[in-house]
Amino acid sequence: MNTLTDMQLDALRELANIGSGNAGTALGSMLGKSVDISVPTAALLPLPDAVAIAGGPDEMRFGVVVPIVGDMDAIVVLLFPEDDARKLCGIYGIDPHTPDGTSMLGEVGNILGTNYINVLAQMAGMRLDPAPPQVVEDMLGSILSSVLIGRGEEIEEALVLDSKLQVEEEQCSLSFLLLPDHGGIKELLGRLGL
Amino acid sequence: METVVRMGEASASNTPGDVLACIGLGSCIGLALVDRSKGVAALAHVMLPEAPKPDPPQPHKFADLAVPALLDLVLAHGGSRLRLEAALVGGAAMFQFGGSGQDIGQRNAHAVARHLETLRIPVRATEVGGSKGRTVRVAVGADLAITVREAGGTEEQLLGGVAAGRAVFV
Repeated sequence: MNTLTDMQLDALRELANIGSGNAGTALGSMLGKSVDISVPTAALLPLPDAVAIAGGPDEMRFGVVVPIVGDMDAIVVLLFPEDDARKLCGIYGIDPHTPDGTSMLGEVGNILGTNYINVLAQMAGMRLDPAPPQVVEDMLGSILSSVLIGRGEEIEEALVLDSKLQVEEEQCSLSFLLLPDHGGIKELLGRLGL
Repeated sequence: METVVRMGEASASNTPGDVLACIGLGSCIGLALVDRSKGVAALAHVMLPEAPKPDPPQPHKFADLAVPALLDLVLAHGGSRLRLEAALVGGAAMFQFGGSGQDIGQRNAHAVARHLETLRIPVRATEVGGSKGRTVRVAVGADLAITVREAGGTEEQLLGGVAAGRAVFV
C-alpha cells in the first residue's frame, strides 16, 4: 500500500472524528468535566515522520498503549506530557508516578480506546476488542517507534489518525493516535465500500 | 553540527566537532562504527533484524544489510578497516504485544551482533535491552566519544576518546 485517495483519507478522518467524539464524551462523564475534541487529522506518513507527529523525539511523555485485536489489528496510543498527566491524576488526588497513577492512566486509555473503537466497529460492521492497556513513561520517539514496529512487520508508512482532547477547567490535553496495521486499513476501507 | 539519524537512515562524518545522534531509540538499534585513531564515525538507526526482500530502498533499516552498508560508509569517510570498533545502543522491550513481534528489540540486538561478528568488527560497548528508551550521540574528532542517555536519566560515557583509556570498556 503506497497511497490513499483523498476520499479515503476524508472517510478515515470522519471516522476518527466520530470515534474521538464518542471517546471524549465517555471521558467527560468519568471525570465529571467537559472534554473538548479537536478536528482530527488523518495522514499516511513515512515512518520517521509518523514518529515525529506528536513532538520532538526526546520529549518525555506518559504513553498509554491499547492494542486492538479482531477483524482489524490496530493500536491506540494516548500521549500525555507529564504536567498534563499530573493534572489529570490530580482530579482524583493521585500522583502519576505511583502504581495508582499508572492504573488511572491505564483506565483513561481503556475508556477512550474502547469508546473510540466501538464506534468504528459499529460503523464498519467489524468485531474489535481492546487488549489491556500498557502504561510507560519514556521518550516520545522511543514510544512511537516501538509501537509502530512492535509487530516486526516491514512497513514504510503508517496511517496516523490524530485527535487532541482537552479537559476543560484543568487545562489538560492529550494526543490520541489510532495506528491501524496495513491489512487493517484495507479491511476497514473495504468494509466501508471505499 | 548535530546530525539526527532517523529510523532506517545512516550518516557518517570525519569533521571534528560533528555529532551524530539517534534520538529516542526504543526497540531500534543505534549502531556506531568508529575509528578512534582517525576520528571517523558512522551511525545507523536499525529497525528490524532482516530484510524481507533483496535491495530495499533503505538498507540501513535492516540489521543484515545495515552492517555491511555502514562498513562501506565508514571506510568511504577514511576509517581504517583494522581499527574499526562497534558500539550498540537500544533494543529495549517497552511493550509486550505478543505474537511473532515479541521482543523485536532483542532480535535486533542479536542480529546486529551476529553480522558484526561475521565481518570481524569488535564490539567495544553495548547498552541494549531493558525497558527504557535511549539516545545515543557520537562526537566526531580526535576525542571521539560515544554517550548514552536513558529516558529520564543523565548522559553517560559509553566509549571514550583514545586518551580516555580504551581498556575500560573492552
